[in-house]
Amino acid sequence: MRNRNAAPKPEVVLAQQLVFLVVLLATWQFASGRLIPAFYISSPSDIVAIVWKWLADGSIWLHVGSTIITLFMGYAVGALLGIGFGLLLGLSPRTERLVAPFIAALYGLPKVALLPLFVIFFGIGLVSKVALVASVVIFLLFYATLAGVRDIDRDIIQSMRLMGARSDEITRKVRLPAILPWIYTGLRTSIGYALTTTVVSEALSSNRGLGFLIEYSASQFNSAGVFGAVVVLLVLSSVIMIPLGMLERRSRPTRPSR
Amino acid sequence: MPVLRLVHPEPAVGPTEARRRKIGLEKVAVDFATRGKTVRAVDGVTLEVPEKQFLALVGPSGCGKSTILNMVAGLLAPTEGTIEYDGAPVLAANTRVGYMTQKDTLLPWRTVADNIGIAFELRCRKASAGERRERVAEMIDLVGLGGFERHYPAELSGGMRKRAALARMLIYEPETLLLDEPFGALDAQLRLLLQQELLHLVERRQMTVILVTHDLEEAVLMADRVVVFTSRPGRIRATRDIPFERPRNAMELRFRPEFSAIHEELWNELKDEFAASIGGERGAK
Ligand SMILES: Nc1ncnc2c1ncn2[C@@H]1O[C@H](COP(=O)(O)OP(=O)(O)OP(=O)(O)O)[C@@H](O)[C@H]1O
Ligand SMILES: [Mg+2]
Repeated sequence: MRNRNAAPKPEVVLAQQLVFLVVLLATWQFASGRLIPAFYISSPSDIVAIVWKWLADGSIWLHVGSTIITLFMGYAVGALLGIGFGLLLGLSPRTERLVAPFIAALYGLPKVALLPLFVIFFGIGLVSKVALVASVVIFLLFYATLAGVRDIDRDIIQSMRLMGARSDEITRKVRLPAILPWIYTGLRTSIGYALTTTVVSEALSSNRGLGFLIEYSASQFNSAGVFGAVVVLLVLSSVIMIPLGMLERRSRPTRPSR
Repeated sequence: MPVLRLVHPEPAVGPTEARRRKIGLEKVAVDFATRGKTVRAVDGVTLEVPEKQFLALVGPSGCGKSTILNMVAGLLAPTEGTIEYDGAPVLAANTRVGYMTQKDTLLPWRTVADNIGIAFELRCRKASAGERRERVAEMIDLVGLGGFERHYPAELSGGMRKRAALARMLIYEPETLLLDEPFGALDAQLRLLLQQELLHLVERRQMTVILVTHDLEEAVLMADRVVVFTSRPGRIRATRDIPFERPRNAMELRFRPEFSAIHEELWNELKDEFAASIGGERGAK
């Protein structure tokens, strides 16, 4: 007798997913201009056409490149600063207690509100966008690192000290390994926020990037352009998430249950 | 398995022979402040441990046994009195002792083998990778953890973690062992085996030992001297020399009439304290 709860084979699932996608696209294509005006929902064929045109004339690479540069610079700067401050304040609890409420208040602030300020400081361009992305990432990594520092087991440190470990050995063998999984987690979760912030900053104050392309196309009432830019963004975000999966595998599978 | 079962290299030293003082507690008292109240955990404890002596501490739960080990290890300063080791006051982490704490302190991101060998990665006890591997294999054999070398602590049972912690401490053969309930979570068979292995090692290496245990039988079988504590605040209620010869055969010892006599004598001291301890806890509520 067949087991009804058995999971279907992966190839079967993939085939079902493909069928689902084809049906969805066909419905969309059919509805466009017949049930709903193409002005609102464009159509798969128009979207393919416009993305193809962007690829053919190479104009899309300016935007893709700009988005990638903003994303990774903001992410890197924010992560480095966040980890740095997290370690610094984690290891000096008294200062941490002093500044904790201020950091919490800033963390709660929607960072997009700071964009005009950054534009005043740095002008319209790469730097103000990077600053905005960094301002989002920095808090996420700060709190992740701080949690990691707090996760260090005092008893383990003492036992290492009794064994004769020097301070630097304890840092290498206990403190860092205890903090690293937290940092991995922080890096993993913050990339999504970083991408969101990048796109928003491009839409609000820029003349390039996928966010700008979406915003610009919309202002021209070019729905195919909006959808086309979204599709490119979709591909880009998927490409970014693959290395993240690898990062995930690096963090250990066995954590103590506490 | 009995890697360390070698012939005793030196003549066995009796428990009564006069020896240099290794550890000294002088009128030690400890207060803990919790939620605005100060609780006296240990009170007026004066205790000497001669070099190479195997001392056992027994007493009801919460009487301050772990607290005393913490002080000897230099992890806790007494509120009153002094702690000495080798004639000098203990003011910082005492790296001359190996301390197996009640709660194990294995590193969760290291495998059993890497945990056990960690002492040899430190500058002060550096050993080559080959030597380390060899010693780790010996210790794993000694504590019966064969087949679990590549497991992480989270994948072990409580008793297995205790054994790994024991191996991690024994591997570098510290001159003094502080053992807090080392065999607590083990079944009777394994307990016997490990008690015997520990006896062999301690006798062969002439180590000084303070063993904390709930198990009076274990204390009498292994120690040269047993100290019975009162319930909190912990004071010394009774001290008893255990006259059995060294090296000892724990398996055989427990069937001797003298063993039963000593066990009963100490049990009479201890049982009042257990009663007092439980009565005290009830009364506090
Ligand atoms: N860090 C601490 N803060 C407050 N009180 C403490 C602390 N450590 C121990 N105590 C108290 O001191 C007393 C002695 O504790 P200790 O751990 O030494 O007992 P113990 O004899 O080892 O008990 P057990 O046999 O259950 O392990 C206990 O009553 C406990 O409540
Ligand atoms: Mg204890």
